[in-house]
Amino acid sequence: MRITFVKKILANGQPCAKCADVESRLKDSGQMSRIDRIVVADERDPKSEGMRLAEHHDVASAPFFIVDNATEADSGGVEPTTTIYTVYLRFVRDMFGGKADTVAESREAMRANPDLGLI
Amino acid sequence: MAEPSPNIIGPQPRRRRPASATDLPVEREALGVLADAFQTFERISVSFSGAEDVVLVDLGARILGPDLPVFSLDTGRLHPETHRFMETVREHYGVAIETLAPDPEELARLVRDKGLFSFYRDGHGECCAIRKIEPLGRKLEHLDAWITGQRADQSVTREGLPIVQDDLAFSSAQHPIRKFNPLANWTGEDVWDYIRRREVPYNPLHDQGFRSIGCEPCTRPVGPHQHEREGRWWWENVADKECGLHAQNVAEPLRIIDR
Repeated sequence: MRITFVKKILANGQPCAKCADVESRLKDSGQMSRIDRIVVADERDPKSEGMRLAEHHDVASAPFFIVDNATEADSGGVEPTTTIYTVYLRFVRDMFGGKADTVAESREAMRANPDLGLI
Repeated sequence: MAEPSPNIIGPQPRRRRPASATDLPVEREALGVLADAFQTFERISVSFSGAEDVVLVDLGARILGPDLPVFSLDTGRLHPETHRFMETVREHYGVAIETLAPDPEELARLVRDKGLFSFYRDGHGECCAIRKIEPLGRKLEHLDAWITGQRADQSVTREGLPIVQDDLAFSSAQHPIRKFNPLANWTGEDVWDYIRRREVPYNPLHDQGFRSIGCEPCTRPVGPHQHEREGRWWWENVADKECGLHAQNVAEPLRIIDR
């Protein structure tokens, strides 16, 4: 399994607040050691890797995580899959375990997917 | 039960009419998407908000009749007209609409701590999360796919909305969820052409100038030259979303992807 963390740099060169918060939480919890790659989506550069990954996976907000099981699939026995997480708390619960806080996850889901409010 | 609204078109025989040559291209496309979705997924349901997404219910009922699975998020703050309209739809199509409610403890906590109108002060995110998104997440735990009435022309954040997508809010590695948006390529005009032509019942609030209908405190009528999005959360600036990866920044075609 390979985990990619995509964070965003704003047009003014600063990290987006949510991305900085998530990165800090990953470091404080020790979970950053489980992240294989950190990629930047730079608002000043539409061709930055993070921006291209966002377009490829149809992601409209940052931060987000890409989880793929290419290694396991290469070994055989499982289908290759890629899962995108736009909700940090859900990602942590799925990947690292822990108790669900569904309301906090829902708030994050709203932030990352504001159109959900229009459902 | 409340009196039916005046725009009801009385009960009609169940019909299972497939797409025909007289259907508009977007209509044929939507019917094809729905037919494929129902064929592919057993655990699938239509999300119905009680607004003009009634078109989705009509299209789905043309394929599955009264067996069409439909759910609705009853936030507790909907207009009375919307509740009555949902009942109209239930009777008109003979479908069972599953109504989802917020978690009572979380709702009580929100109201106790912040009152009934915190969204005017704090933004609508927290209230929507409790009244709408959490119940939706609970429902989606039991589905492999869901169907929305979202259209690309409804807001700037929906430009480029695909007809089929992975649900990025609720999917997990263990439980991937697909989201179908059969009306993605429809315009508001297409929707109303369809409603009139097929005499589909509609929410009477539309006749009062409401184009987008959500919760009562967060929805208002708009003028003929206003975008429908201006009728929702008008006290907030939709463009002020720091986390957004703006469309103009991801418009370049992707050619190289790290794998």
